[in-house]
Amino acid sequence: MIDRLRRVLRVARWEVARAGGGVDRRTLAAALALLLVAGGVLGGGLAVGAVGLDVDRDVYRVAVDGDSPYADAVEEAPALTPVPVEGADLGDTADLVVFDGGGSRTDAVETVAVRASDTRKGEAAAAEFRAAVEAHNERLMAAEENATAAFPVTVTLRYVGRTSALDEGSTLGEDDGGSDDGSGGGTGGDAEGGDDGSGGGTGGDAEGDDGDTSETAPTGGDTATDGGGLAVPSVGGGTFGADTVGSPGSISPPFPFVSLLLAFVFLVPMNFLIQAYGSSVLDERTNRRGEPMLVTPLSPVDIVAGKTLPYVAAALVVTALIALGVGGGVLSVLAVLPVALTFLAATFVGAMFARSFKELTFVTVGVSVLLTTYAFVPAIFTNVTPVALVSPLTLVVFDLQGEAVSAGEALFSTVPMALGSALLFGLGLGVYREEDMFTQKPVPRKFLDALAVRLSPVEDVALAGLVDRGRLRALGSVAFLTACTIPFVFVAELLAVATLFALPVTVSVPVLLVTIAFVEEVAKSVGLYAGFERDVFARTDRVAVAVGVASAVGFFLAEKATAVAQAVGLTELYVGRAAFGSVAGGAGLSPVTAVALLFAPLLLHGFATTVAAVGASRDRTYYVLTLALATLVHAAYNFGVVSLHG
Amino acid sequence: MIEVAGLRKTYGDFAAVVDSDFSVEEGEVFGIVGPNGAGKTTTLKVLAGLVDPTEGDVEVAGFPSDDPEMRRRLGFLPEESPLYEEMTPLSYLNFFADLYDVPSEVADERIEAALDRLELDHRDRRLGDMSKGMKRKVAIARSLVNDPDVLVYDEPASGLDPVTTNSVLEFTRELRAAGKTVVFSAHNLYHVESVCDRVVVMNEGRIVARGSVDGIRERHGETTYHVFTDVAPAAGERLIEALADPDAPTEEVGDRFRTVVPDMDAVEAVRAAAAEAGGEVVDIRTREPSLEDVFLDIVGRPMPGRYTGGGGAVDETRDTAGDGGEGDDERNRPAEPPEGAE
Repeated sequence: MIDRLRRVLRVARWEVARAGGGVDRRTLAAALALLLVAGGVLGGGLAVGAVGLDVDRDVYRVAVDGDSPYADAVEEAPALTPVPVEGADLGDTADLVVFDGGGSRTDAVETVAVRASDTRKGEAAAAEFRAAVEAHNERLMAAEENATAAFPVTVTLRYVGRTSALDEGSTLGEDDGGSDDGSGGGTGGDAEGGDDGSGGGTGGDAEGDDGDTSETAPTGGDTATDGGGLAVPSVGGGTFGADTVGSPGSISPPFPFVSLLLAFVFLVPMNFLIQAYGSSVLDERTNRRGEPMLVTPLSPVDIVAGKTLPYVAAALVVTALIALGVGGGVLSVLAVLPVALTFLAATFVGAMFARSFKELTFVTVGVSVLLTTYAFVPAIFTNVTPVALVSPLTLVVFDLQGEAVSAGEALFSTVPMALGSALLFGLGLGVYREEDMFTQKPVPRKFLDALAVRLSPVEDVALAGLVDRGRLRALGSVAFLTACTIPFVFVAELLAVATLFALPVTVSVPVLLVTIAFVEEVAKSVGLYAGFERDVFARTDRVAVAVGVASAVGFFLAEKATAVAQAVGLTELYVGRAAFGSVAGGAGLSPVTAVALLFAPLLLHGFATTVAAVGASRDRTYYVLTLALATLVHAAYNFGVVSLHG
Repeated sequence: MIEVAGLRKTYGDFAAVVDSDFSVEEGEVFGIVGPNGAGKTTTLKVLAGLVDPTEGDVEVAGFPSDDPEMRRRLGFLPEESPLYEEMTPLSYLNFFADLYDVPSEVADERIEAALDRLELDHRDRRLGDMSKGMKRKVAIARSLVNDPDVLVYDEPASGLDPVTTNSVLEFTRELRAAGKTVVFSAHNLYHVESVCDRVVVMNEGRIVARGSVDGIRERHGETTYHVFTDVAPAAGERLIEALADPDAPTEEVGDRFRTVVPDMDAVEAVRAAAAEAGGEVVDIRTREPSLEDVFLDIVGRPMPGRYTGGGGAVDETRDTAGDGGEGDDERNRPAEPPEGAE
């Protein structure tokens, strides 16, 4: 083990030296400068948000006396600029004039006259002035010591969007910000801070102050944690519901805009890393450069691990630095690690399959777009739906919000990607050998090669020969290969759920059921097709049935792992039930029905996969046709299950 | 030192090597010759552990070819040797020495010695800026950094200028003198003839001849006699019967006439025919068959060095299942005649 580690480190050291030697210093300097500029723009943008700068600042001139009670309102509104009443010329030096006490007056009521210029700008100035006065009043009320007097009627508003069966487990977050009832951290915006009449603190200022949460109740929106660096500011708090106290009209559901933006920053360096990594892997294949390495005592695993290690290390360092900068913690780093590994693993496979740097470019762009979408889009729904936990980036958002995350949630978010990356590396390693590395084949054929290399030959024998140990081992390799597709199937199905859950149920459920049937049928049969295409399996019906059943068993057993979906509460969504219903929601059924339902998928998989396997044993056209048939059968079964579950 | 028994390597339906058996003694230089697609490179790659045999046993230096320990005792030089162009010769060779666990001081010594012997200067220049010959020398030096017992060289002098080629061949002889076992293939049969103790001739994946170069020549080639006369011999029936090649009768060479015949009886027939025409035999020379002649005799087509282009050159290591991809294009690429070929 130590020897292997030493070998891996040796390759890693040389990979660093090579990578360093392969990049021109000026190019490197230019890339760093670009990064700095991009970072500067992003930081500047955040800083602008943090200090409350607005693009519509000082748009309207309002003539108001300095001792007028409206002067403060005008002063505080960014869009309004106060000018002296004396000498103000409406339409020229002022868009609006406030005549304080200019009208009739009684002892109890002060009057104010507001006159705007008879232009569209004047109308806009009047509207802005009205909004400024209302906001000013809101702030005065919020600052009132006697909260009961300020808000005689209080309504407690609590956002409870994220529910999870794993919430009661141990938590990994820095603190339990606002999730004191275990109902979903941080989403509870308690409009009434307490019952002592002291109010709920100051609330987030509409323009955002310093982002300090020490005086604010949990908001569910972006809140900053104390700590150095670019702490998460409460940008646009009013818009995104950072106010904890106010009139109902000023409260909106939480949206972790800035946390999401900062979480996205974690993904940016991945794009640079995969470019460098993909080039390095493909460089080994170009003109057989890597052939001499294959003759050394190093195994392909040693070589690939050594070549990959520097990029994983770089991803870790960059992630840690970003986390340090934006106020993330260890959770952020741990959450981003499987994302980085998946980026690298997918790039590795792509670089092993690509025939040229041009193809590699398409691969890396594809990887970047797909994985960024997969990581980023679900995270938008953080605090809203458990679907968001599909993405490890959601954990980062939680971490930046200072919210707690249970161990189960963390595993749910990260394990599929981590497993997927390991399997992708395994897939690529299958063709990291002389016979495959240097051949020029289209990507799909390379993919089939990579699958076929993991299969053991299955010859046609009489039924009695089935019990032969070697044959069972060969069928075991089929089952194992299919079982290995489960993380990808899981990820694809979660992605489908995340994509479709916003659509009407009448549309999303049928589409989802067919999609899932297709994904699963492909997962079960593509390895079989590879086996027949590469002559690993004898092309007979008997062998097709044998490998079809083996594949179905492997899939069935591995599919049970998706029971974690039930644990995390995903099946509380209708589409979640549709996607994972077969392993969830068995409550209320009789034991016989429950057992029948438990094994019904095995029968389904056995039948459908055998149909596709028989087609695969013929040729590609038959395979496509039988795959379509298997998908239809599977989809019909899914409809039945969903109907049964209601 | 090397034992190959029942070696068979197939790619789909294509058999690159079929039922190949041979052994190589310690300290021997063993040649593998054959036309393109004969299975030479595949055989060498199996020996190097790069390609797994479909059937058969291969043992190198006492270890199976897939044993990492075998790889420690083997140096391999592929036909093409693109290097990491951003590295210098010294850093590149140190890298490989490192991979073989060679202590740095020992590695430095070996690398210096190899580069000195191969007369490679500019050791700090980027490999990407070096000529093909210099790169080849670096690749040869790489095959020696682990001080291997067995060297497997695929076309070691391919694409090199005559001076460098001679240097490489001389270096191969020195390796034999140093007790190394060398297996190598070459397109240029002169190279094989000049350094190999024994050879096998491969054709369409099979070994079709084997033994010492002289032995093969004896078996597959015939000594001919070139009889020079001062007049054209009378074209009688006896003379025509005596000719080594009836389609190639007497030809005029300068002021003399040359008739090629297979044995001494035929020489007498030429002498009689010349006398009949009023002349006499002025010179008789014997000519031993070259390996090229033997090759032609065995495989029935010209040796690769005389290949003049066109399709059909097959790299047996490539996929031949007829995928229709780019690999097929490359597979059908016309072979380039090696430098120095006649």
